[in-house]
Amino acid sequence: MLSTLQPPRSLTLLPFRRFHGSKTIASLASSSPTLDASFVSPPQSQILTTRRSLLSGETTASEIAKSYLSRIRLTEPQLKCFLHVSENVLKEAQEIDQRISRGEEVGPLAGVVIGVKDNICTEGMPSTAASRILEHYRPPFDATAVKKIKEMGGIVVGKTNMDEFGMGSTTEASAFQVTANPWDLTRVPGGSSGGSAAAVAARQCMVSLGSDTGGSVRQPASFCGVVGLKPTYGRVSRFGLMAYASSLDVIGCFGSTVADAGMLLHAVSGYDRFDSTSSKQDVPEFDTQFLSMDSFESKPLKGVRVGLIRETLEEGVDSGVRSATQEAASHLEALGCVVTEVSLPSFSLGLPAYYVIASSESSSNLSRYDGVRYGNQVMADELNKLYECSRGQGFGGEVKMRILMGTYALSAGYYDAYYKRAQQVRTLIRKDFKAALDHNDILISPAAPSAAYKIGEKKDDPLAMYAGDIMTVNVNLAGLPAIVLPCGLVEGGPSGLPVGLQMIGAAFDEEKLLKVGHIFEQTLKGSGFVPPTLPNVA
Amino acid sequence: MATRALLAVVTASPPRMIQIKASTFSSSLKFQRHITTLARSFSSDTNPSVLQPPDVSRLAETARISLTPSEVLRNVELRFVKSLTAIVFVVLVGKCRFGQLQQVDVSSVEPAIRAEMEGGNLREDAPETFENRESIRASIPSFDEVYLKVPKVLNKE
Repeated sequence: MLSTLQPPRSLTLLPFRRFHGSKTIASLASSSPTLDASFVSPPQSQILTTRRSLLSGETTASEIAKSYLSRIRLTEPQLKCFLHVSENVLKEAQEIDQRISRGEEVGPLAGVVIGVKDNICTEGMPSTAASRILEHYRPPFDATAVKKIKEMGGIVVGKTNMDEFGMGSTTEASAFQVTANPWDLTRVPGGSSGGSAAAVAARQCMVSLGSDTGGSVRQPASFCGVVGLKPTYGRVSRFGLMAYASSLDVIGCFGSTVADAGMLLHAVSGYDRFDSTSSKQDVPEFDTQFLSMDSFESKPLKGVRVGLIRETLEEGVDSGVRSATQEAASHLEALGCVVTEVSLPSFSLGLPAYYVIASSESSSNLSRYDGVRYGNQVMADELNKLYECSRGQGFGGEVKMRILMGTYALSAGYYDAYYKRAQQVRTLIRKDFKAALDHNDILISPAAPSAAYKIGEKKDDPLAMYAGDIMTVNVNLAGLPAIVLPCGLVEGGPSGLPVGLQMIGAAFDEEKLLKVGHIFEQTLKGSGFVPPTLPNVA
Repeated sequence: MATRALLAVVTASPPRMIQIKASTFSSSLKFQRHITTLARSFSSDTNPSVLQPPDVSRLAETARISLTPSEVLRNVELRFVKSLTAIVFVVLVGKCRFGQLQQVDVSSVEPAIRAEMEGGNLREDAPETFENRESIRASIPSFDEVYLKVPKVLNKE
């Protein structure tokens, strides 16, 4: 199936070739040695390029793995994307090389270097959800998504940093370290999947897995200038994803191109008997539709109806974000789309409904971390004290806050007023989206009201932090798929800060999102979204 | 509504109770009173008992979470109470741009427990053996061959 894909227009080599054996960090800006400054070829799929160069013998999985490990070693002191780097990377790469040399089949992700968010279980590798309560915890099993990646030959290079248990939008709430945004080391990468987004942006790995409960894949994708794909609820098994809010959580994918995010998603999708909320819907072959620009017609998206969500461009959104979104809408029109404004009347209710539902469900889901069966235990002379102290010392402040909020919302006498009411609001939001998507193929909006903030800026202002989720939470409440792809730069940092466009599709219609996203990306003029040179590390 | 100023904070050894000084709590009380006034002004038609400020220490007990001694000493607990109260009222009740969860009419709306209502994904009610028991055992903090050890349980009234 991958072999039926059209070859890319130019067979550019991956940047990793230039780093092989090098001690300095060369600029990431040029992916081809013969780059013409005035025109940059559209971004190439790293998954496809890897497969081609492995099968043609041009390079080996071991060479690729070595160069990524070397890049990680050089950039981690400044970026701190990883909580753990795997010790088995070279061994796994060698196994792939041996199979190729014996003429054996290798999977579609063979040799692909993949980061995994630390709330996704990886057997034998620490999985901490960036929390002290799970420090040193090694799960006895792989999450289904990880198992599928391994079956297809993917190499898990390490576990990425995140906000503790997924609760946060900046990755500052990690118990262990703060990840820096590769575009500006004084800024946050977004959250909660900040480590996964930044690692792909900094080319420490090719693609990565994250999780999205209220925007945790889409917002960091916007802040880091990479593609973030949130599938429909139920598309990907949640088995092995440490639950935050069970009715909202999904596993999502990061890539430097739409094609890579789509191919990774295809690899991890499908019904799983270990997840009773996983869907039995067919997984279409959306990994094979990424045609090269040469085959595009002049108006490749002719007739596609796009709805720009009016409520997302109202006050509170940065002017830079607003103009980038409007330019993206114009770009879509130039490709043949019909762009109109749509209104979602229930839009503003999403945020409080989300926080009630998420904190309520998380208060229940996090009750399992009691220091008895796994994780850090604080011994006490009485069982309740053991729970209180293990949890009190193991959980960070934001996690405790959300658990208490959830406990409050679910308390006797309050359930109807808060949780049940929020569920009813969820029905209203679903209905509004469905109505809008009956008349439009996709909906678009910014991914966040601003570009990346400075580290520490929002830390003491939780309400301001929560307000930043306004563009993304409704999509989780409705369970719909959405993709964020970089569409422009705003002022800030050494060379501007990326801003992402969010595209929302109908349930299980990832295929359409990926098609529109891929064409948008391949035809977007500009210098590509590669972070500036990282400082030289001797 | 008077907020209890007593928080039980217990460390591993030896256990001790810490009483919060009245002075550190007075500004929190003022803040709580302010929020209560705000809450009352929002809800002319809603049952006022629904909008009581959260009793943080009671909630912490229910959730089996203690605030660490260092959090208490650094007055983090105070900020905690403020943030929690503010969030509860602004996020859950608020009339600001966060929306009006309490004002919307949901009288004829079905609650949605999740996005898609595909049902019936039940498996057979038959036990399955998990093979990697060794790895599970390795994660148990206090294990005494077959038993997971915990301290005694004291039932409170």
